[in-house]
Amino acid sequence: MKTHYSRSLIALSTTALALPGISQGDAPPLDSTFSYKFSNYKEDDLSRTEAPFGELERYDIDVHQFQLITPWGRNMALQVDGNYESLSGASPWFTSTGLDGEPVVNLSGASGIRDRRSELAIGARYYLENGSIGGNIGYSEEDDYRARYIGLSGERHFNNDLTTIGLGFSHSADDIFPTDASLFNRVASESKQSTSLVLSVSQIINQTTTVQTALSITEQSGYLSDPYKLFDVRPDDKTQFAWSSSFRHFFVEAEAAAHVNYRLYHDDFGVSSHTLDFAWHQNLPDDWRIIPNIRYYTQSAAKFFTNIDNPFTSSDQYQSSDYRLAAFGAISGGFSVVKNWGVWTGTLTAERYVAKEKYSGYTVALPSTALVSYTRLSVGFDYTF
Amino acid sequence: MQATLRRFGFQAMSSPCELQFYSDSTIEAKKASRRLAAEVVRLEKKYSRFLRNSYLTAINYSAGDSLGIRLDSETYRLLEHALACFEESEGLFDITSAPLAQLWDFRNARVPTQAQIDSALEHIGFHRLHWKKSRLHLPAGMSIDLGGIVKEYAADAVASNARRLGITHGLVNLGGDFAVIGPKPDDSPWPVGIVDPRKPDTLMAKINLGSGGIASSGDYARCFEHEGKRYSHIINPKTGWPCEGLRAVSVAANLSTVAGSMATIAMLKSRDAGIKYLKDSGLPHVYMTQEEDVGGEGLAPLAAAQTATDEQATA
Amino acid sequence: MKQLPRVLALFLAFAMISGCVEVRPWERGYLARDEMAWDSDPLESALNDHIFFSKEASSGGSSAAGGGCGCN
Repeated sequence: MKTHYSRSLIALSTTALALPGISQGDAPPLDSTFSYKFSNYKEDDLSRTEAPFGELERYDIDVHQFQLITPWGRNMALQVDGNYESLSGASPWFTSTGLDGEPVVNLSGASGIRDRRSELAIGARYYLENGSIGGNIGYSEEDDYRARYIGLSGERHFNNDLTTIGLGFSHSADDIFPTDASLFNRVASESKQSTSLVLSVSQIINQTTTVQTALSITEQSGYLSDPYKLFDVRPDDKTQFAWSSSFRHFFVEAEAAAHVNYRLYHDDFGVSSHTLDFAWHQNLPDDWRIIPNIRYYTQSAAKFFTNIDNPFTSSDQYQSSDYRLAAFGAISGGFSVVKNWGVWTGTLTAERYVAKEKYSGYTVALPSTALVSYTRLSVGFDYTF
Repeated sequence: MQATLRRFGFQAMSSPCELQFYSDSTIEAKKASRRLAAEVVRLEKKYSRFLRNSYLTAINYSAGDSLGIRLDSETYRLLEHALACFEESEGLFDITSAPLAQLWDFRNARVPTQAQIDSALEHIGFHRLHWKKSRLHLPAGMSIDLGGIVKEYAADAVASNARRLGITHGLVNLGGDFAVIGPKPDDSPWPVGIVDPRKPDTLMAKINLGSGGIASSGDYARCFEHEGKRYSHIINPKTGWPCEGLRAVSVAANLSTVAGSMATIAMLKSRDAGIKYLKDSGLPHVYMTQEEDVGGEGLAPLAAAQTATDEQATA
Repeated sequence: MKQLPRVLALFLAFAMISGCVEVRPWERGYLARDEMAWDSDPLESALNDHIFFSKEASSGGSSAAGGGCGCN
């Protein structure tokens, strides 16, 4: 038998060996995709009863998101993510009592605005026979804040690819240097670190149903208070747990998919929360899709939450009137409309979010008067090449 | 527990199929064979030209759509292989040429008119397909048929899946296209017999296959005679007329997919060009010409008038 | 914190549901559709994660906490 093989044999072998049935394993996407989304969300103004003094207008934020995913070689994919955000408006500075003793909120004026944020992250993913591993690094910068982070993740398929187990790790090192620190007697420069681990299991139940469950643990340490809130003092470490479960089911006759997600959260500031969201992805003729969605969220208050700041608290007595640590409930919902034209896909999304004391599933001992509501609009496109 | 030879037969891709492999557990062997047979059915259903909701039908239905259709990675790779076949055969192996084959009505032995052939040729031509990464644009009036590749690919995919399931000694046979999972437990090859096209119950040649695959191309059933001339069922996509090359070819290669492509390309060429192509490949092969001459290289010795037992059969 | 052992037990029980049904390979087509992905619009989920992170006290769950910002 000849040991010299014809060029023809080599050419045919090359393409045959690339066939997925033969060279088993996960593979990166075939195409490159570029995505862009522009969003604007505007928090509702406070009412005069909530804020008898000063500013009423809250945040108005524009967000630009960019993403590029591209295969590299036969086994890898590269990803670049960019974000640019600009905001104007005011945020709660401190709470006090109003003219009749009720808690009221006071918004910051021209100070305390973090007005621009840029972020860039680069990642790569390597695909193996039974799974993949990936990593990313990122950097985010604002006028008064800088974050550097790194992430690593891997997943492996088992059981004829019906089960997937994933493990993720991330670490972030952030620096805070509030604007006008000396003018307003704020801390000049602080830092905080955050490390997080997540374990997930996904399972294909049948030809139209999948479920996933994930457990994450995060440890934060450093300066965790809000430097722009006048009387905000928080512990210098925080441990968080979150358990989320997701369900996806495809309705063949309706040509639609139902998404249900639930998350249970708890941290040692004393905050617990439940999140439940539901989305219905309905396919329509001519490559249109409409996705209505609704979300319910409720959290309990942090142990040291107060709705009337005590200006005379000492550094070892924690307190915060930050509405985000209050007990409340929030209902949000909206819809997206998606249209595909070959290599282009366009998306339009509208969403309304309302947080209220009365939506809370937890007992509200101290209601916050600074709960937020907002409206968001987004428009974006994907281009495959 | 002693590993024994298990055999599982099933029908798929319009052919009798058989899995032979060594396993020490009957239950595990049954489970494995079900999964492997399911893989063949998966490919059959996905690339079926007849099923209304097959992926191939969706692709053909997109002909003329300016937006094209998105291919998944498996189909994309199959098209890349089809392109390699097109180039290696200098345009003779053409997956868009199925309409031509339909024109030649083999059952009624009717020859189409030149006008009909010319008209069909206008919508033939792999070079007319445009695909960029995962987007395929199929021009109006054209269609693709992956039948000439999928059966051998299925044999290789099943062998590969079997190895992943932990099977180390076995042979896959999908209607005469073979793929080795692994040699016999004593490391000896699997003897595969090539059936004589003239006498389907006798063997023309034998190839010992320790690894890789064997595929055959030949007009064992579907040729016809018209006005004294014998027409092969393989149509030349450039002329529109049946090929006048070899009558049957079997090739052994590192993959059944590769073997099948080379066998088909050899059949599409003229007789002498086909024989030379096979010789130059350096692979074990056997062929029969229209004049019923048999030739080949790298074959195993064949006992006189050896009959085709059901242990080795290829057609 | 009292909830943690219960959460872990539920998590493990959930995770042990494996090999429920033999999904025949040619029937996995539905699961490969865009709208059946865990994350069918990554920019949208990243945006929502970021917005909710800045308006609520919870974070994490399905992915390891990624980038940082000064918004919480």
